[in-house]
Amino acid sequence: MQLPSWAALGPALVLALTALVLLGLDSIDPDSTHSSALAGISALGALSALGLAGWYLLAGTGQASTGGPILLYGDALVVDGMSLFFSVIFASVAAMVIVASYDYLKGRTYQAEFYSLVMLAATGMTLMASSNSLASVFVSLELASLPSYALVAFLKRNEGSVEAGLKYFLIGAVSSAVFAFGISLVYAVTGSLLLSDVASGLVDAGDFVGVAGVGVLLIAGGFAFKTASVPFHFWAPEAYEGAPAPISAFLSSASKAAGFAVAFRVFVEAFPIASVVPMGIDWPLLFAVLAVVTMTLGNFAAATQENVKRMLAYSSIGHAGYALIGLAALSQGGPNGQVMGASMAHLLVYGFMNTGAFLFIALVEHWEVGRTFEDYNGLATKAPVACTAMTVFMFSLAGLPPFGGFLSKYALFYSAVQGGFWWLAAVGAINSALSLFYYSRVVKAMWIEEPSTPFELESKPVGLYVAVMFAAVGTLLLLPGFGPVVETAQTAATALFA
Amino acid sequence: MVGAFDYAPAIVLLPFLSFLVALAGGKYLPKGGAFGGIAATAGSLLLSVWVFLTVSGGETHNDTLYTWVAGVSEETVSLELGLLLDPLSAMMLIIVSLVALLVHVFSLGYMNDEGETGLPRYYAGLGLFTASMLGFVVADNLLMAFMFFELVGLCSYLLIGFWFRQEGPPSAAKKAFLVTRFGDYFFLVGVVAVFATFGTAAFAGPDSFPHIAELAMPGGESPDGAVNTFGFDPRTWFTIVGLLVLGGVVGKSAQFPLHTWLPDAMEGPTPVSALIHAATMVAAGVYLVARMYGFYALSPTALAIIAFIGGFTALFAATMGVVKREIKQVLAYSTISQYGYMMLGLGAGGYVAATFHLMTHAFFKALLFLGAGSVIIAMHHNENMWDMGGLKEKMPVTYYTFLSGSLALAGIVPFAGFWSKDEVLYEALVHGLGGSTLLLGAYAMGLVAVFFTGFYTFRMVFLTFHGEPRTETARDPHGVRWNVKGPLVVLGVLAATAGLVNMTPVAEMLGMPGIELLHKWLAHGGIEMTTSEHYVTLLEEQADYHATHLSPLVPGLVSLGLALAGAGLAHVLYNVPSPERHTDKLGAIKTLWYNNYYQDELQVWLADGVVRPLARAADKFDQGVVDGVVDGVSSVSLFAGGRVRRIQTGIVSNYAALLTLGLTALVLVFGIMGGWFV
Repeated sequence: MQLPSWAALGPALVLALTALVLLGLDSIDPDSTHSSALAGISALGALSALGLAGWYLLAGTGQASTGGPILLYGDALVVDGMSLFFSVIFASVAAMVIVASYDYLKGRTYQAEFYSLVMLAATGMTLMASSNSLASVFVSLELASLPSYALVAFLKRNEGSVEAGLKYFLIGAVSSAVFAFGISLVYAVTGSLLLSDVASGLVDAGDFVGVAGVGVLLIAGGFAFKTASVPFHFWAPEAYEGAPAPISAFLSSASKAAGFAVAFRVFVEAFPIASVVPMGIDWPLLFAVLAVVTMTLGNFAAATQENVKRMLAYSSIGHAGYALIGLAALSQGGPNGQVMGASMAHLLVYGFMNTGAFLFIALVEHWEVGRTFEDYNGLATKAPVACTAMTVFMFSLAGLPPFGGFLSKYALFYSAVQGGFWWLAAVGAINSALSLFYYSRVVKAMWIEEPSTPFELESKPVGLYVAVMFAAVGTLLLLPGFGPVVETAQTAATALFA
Repeated sequence: MVGAFDYAPAIVLLPFLSFLVALAGGKYLPKGGAFGGIAATAGSLLLSVWVFLTVSGGETHNDTLYTWVAGVSEETVSLELGLLLDPLSAMMLIIVSLVALLVHVFSLGYMNDEGETGLPRYYAGLGLFTASMLGFVVADNLLMAFMFFELVGLCSYLLIGFWFRQEGPPSAAKKAFLVTRFGDYFFLVGVVAVFATFGTAAFAGPDSFPHIAELAMPGGESPDGAVNTFGFDPRTWFTIVGLLVLGGVVGKSAQFPLHTWLPDAMEGPTPVSALIHAATMVAAGVYLVARMYGFYALSPTALAIIAFIGGFTALFAATMGVVKREIKQVLAYSTISQYGYMMLGLGAGGYVAATFHLMTHAFFKALLFLGAGSVIIAMHHNENMWDMGGLKEKMPVTYYTFLSGSLALAGIVPFAGFWSKDEVLYEALVHGLGGSTLLLGAYAMGLVAVFFTGFYTFRMVFLTFHGEPRTETARDPHGVRWNVKGPLVVLGVLAATAGLVNMTPVAEMLGMPGIELLHKWLAHGGIEMTTSEHYVTLLEEQADYHATHLSPLVPGLVSLGLALAGAGLAHVLYNVPSPERHTDKLGAIKTLWYNNYYQDELQVWLADGVVRPLARAADKFDQGVVDGVVDGVSSVSLFAGGRVRRIQTGIVSNYAALLTLGLTALVLVFGIMGGWFV
């Protein structure tokens, strides 16, 4: 039996449907206190989307083995290996975030709104990964962004949360303007919004190369906002710090990955290196500059933080810098599929370890222990299991073996070296070494330092624990399982370049 | 059919099992686990005999048991564990398991009856020691040999330092460990070099590294460049590799200049000394050279170096043995000296002679140590020979067996040591006269050492057993039981008779080559590449070693005469009711010998005066330059991090401004570079 072609969008449809169901429930019973039912529905939706995406990915939907990408709705959307790979990331992060939020939201109102906003944002991200025209790119990007603004400001009585939400929104508005302006310039030159048509239109840009170049650069700016890359990163430390910790996890893992997903597709499909670089639009160099500045700035700033959550926020900027190598270490005739695939695989591993780290912060916030490194002193004596998981996340983020983060970083730097961008890999390696400093500070505080004031942990929230453990096990399993992951990613990326 | 070879792994595993048993349950077992060790080594001995009989039926075994790192393609190496059972290893198995069994039995008297504590640890150590050595003997490749070689080293460390609460033993154990480790470092590099050169480390078979090396020699069957010799001439490179491996041999077999650990190792329990000297640790080095003799035979340079190290060590150690006061110290230097003979034999092309001496020495040296142990029990752990005297009447069994061992050590006909030492010297002489004149120098040193050996051996015997008792303890010694006497008798008989298996001079004289059993034993076997016949061919073709024809009678008589002269001098000087310290007449030479030629001081000076300043300089570099750079980087990054933090003002309009400025800068830079504004 052959599923209808629209079913290829299954993951996005399931997520959207879940969001609508939640909204419906909320309008019927606005004061619902059935938080477990709400969380259950959302988790079910996220897991079904994960299952669908994983099934499609394994079955080869939209990939070369079953007849290539599936184009839908006048070519505005596309389903291929890459979009499914990223759907897996979004859905798994969403699932972890939802399970963790069950405990985090205990006793708060507007829970249904929270879950439905998460689902809507996830829908937007999934669509971003599938967008095949600049119009759908913009719309899905906004679909992912607008719920995010609200979610960051979800703690309405918390000044930090509200302030962060507003700043995020304002920077987001500026960035969207830049992005839309970029799209309009590219449209002006090429006369089309479909990525493939843009590519062919650019060939005859003629005298309008300058206009196209500015457009390409502004579009890159829009993506830089979504991925929290310099100079569009200003919102990130504040938003991640002010937002509820599960939302920080969601934004720093899934939302960032979505930015990369759409950037990968748009730049590879619409602005092929072979034709635009000789015209003077050297976007791989642009991304190389952004990668170096982003990873350096993120890591340097993270090193001086006192607040663990803010440290993670900067480290997340640093990781955006690593992932940018996937767009920077590209060249005509180079091993481009390998580079971009390694970057995708790193984003997947990052999805687990970074989500886990932020969820551990959520756990600590739940215990009301405190926010600085000093407050974490001696935490391991009270919560050894969770602290072990956090140690795994920290070392994995730093790229130490034997954790998943080691292999993904290794594959990324290795492919960059193969592509001839050894200096990018070198900068990345130096930054990784620096990052070990601040990651190990957390570990040191938890395991080695004595607590400054004695404290008791009141409860062991099941949902948060499950989510943290899931992320930890994922991080560990991605070490032996990294081979198939990176292979899938590189196959998907190579298909994009073909 | 299930044969001896199927059970061969058990030879190694049984003592290992006794190690585990003694370690886990020794506390609850009678005698601290001794019986387990005795049963295990007895089992190993029986199986070894079975293997020996099977091998003497003409069968050999060379097989991989377990591949622990599989090479992924033809070019990559596989790391394996396997068994190589040929005449050499079959013989060595019997020696090792027999000596280990007797040492276990003896330990009942030396350790249990003396009320030592920590016995489970002791027997666990003995079990692991035996297992490691047996594993080393049956190893079918160099890497496996290296692994067991290291285990042997570890066990010697554990056992020498058995009395770890006293001051001396832990320090001696550390010294033994570090000095042999220094040699093993070269060995390890050699193992890597063998893998890098040949892609295999197997000892025997068509794909073994000695065979590949043989084919790769000039005029061999392999084309030029078949093996990677790293830009050297094949012979030069093989010499280098051989000498690297030799580093481990020199350390383990206590050859000059890495012999210094061995006299100190006397701090360990005496049965352990017997095991170390006769069958395990020290024997491992020489055995390794014999095991890969096909490789050394390709390089006359390596052979000459081996011969010279051996000859020099034989003489050098014998002189030091002359002046020692303690019975075990004399034995320690005699061990160094005797292994020097074996090295001399190997280097001089006398593969069979050296193996022969390895065997006879194992018996008589184990005997001497156990005899010394018996004396030490009797003397309430006083080892000073000047406090003994007259023990002959009190402990006849110990005396006569010790005498048998001493006659063998001194090389008096017809005891075992005479035949084997004589053959070593004979081989050096005939190959020296046959064109490799350098060997004559090594021969001369070995010959002079014979005199010293006879002297120090009988000085020891006379001081210990003859004359008047010089102390109260010697007048009324502590008795010893069957578990001490039994092993002594077995070994005493072997020390007297083991030499008869290979009476080369007699065979020559009577014209009966058939009685040279060991020659026949090592000459044949299913694995052609490890037979002594093949080695002789190799030596002639590759190393240009040729033997002149010479009757063994005259050289035999010369060395016998020298041994008798040494023994006779000892008789005149020391076999009197109250001997004097005649060696004092040597004056400065005695001081030099007594202080071991100041070798320890030299090594301490090397460590202190040369290595330490170098290490300090390296440390300076590390602390100053490397750490300085690292610290500098970290302070720069923290400073920069602080700056970056300041950009993040918290005011959103600043952000928007910076964002716009950044974007504008990018547009300008890339626009100008890309020519967008033209």
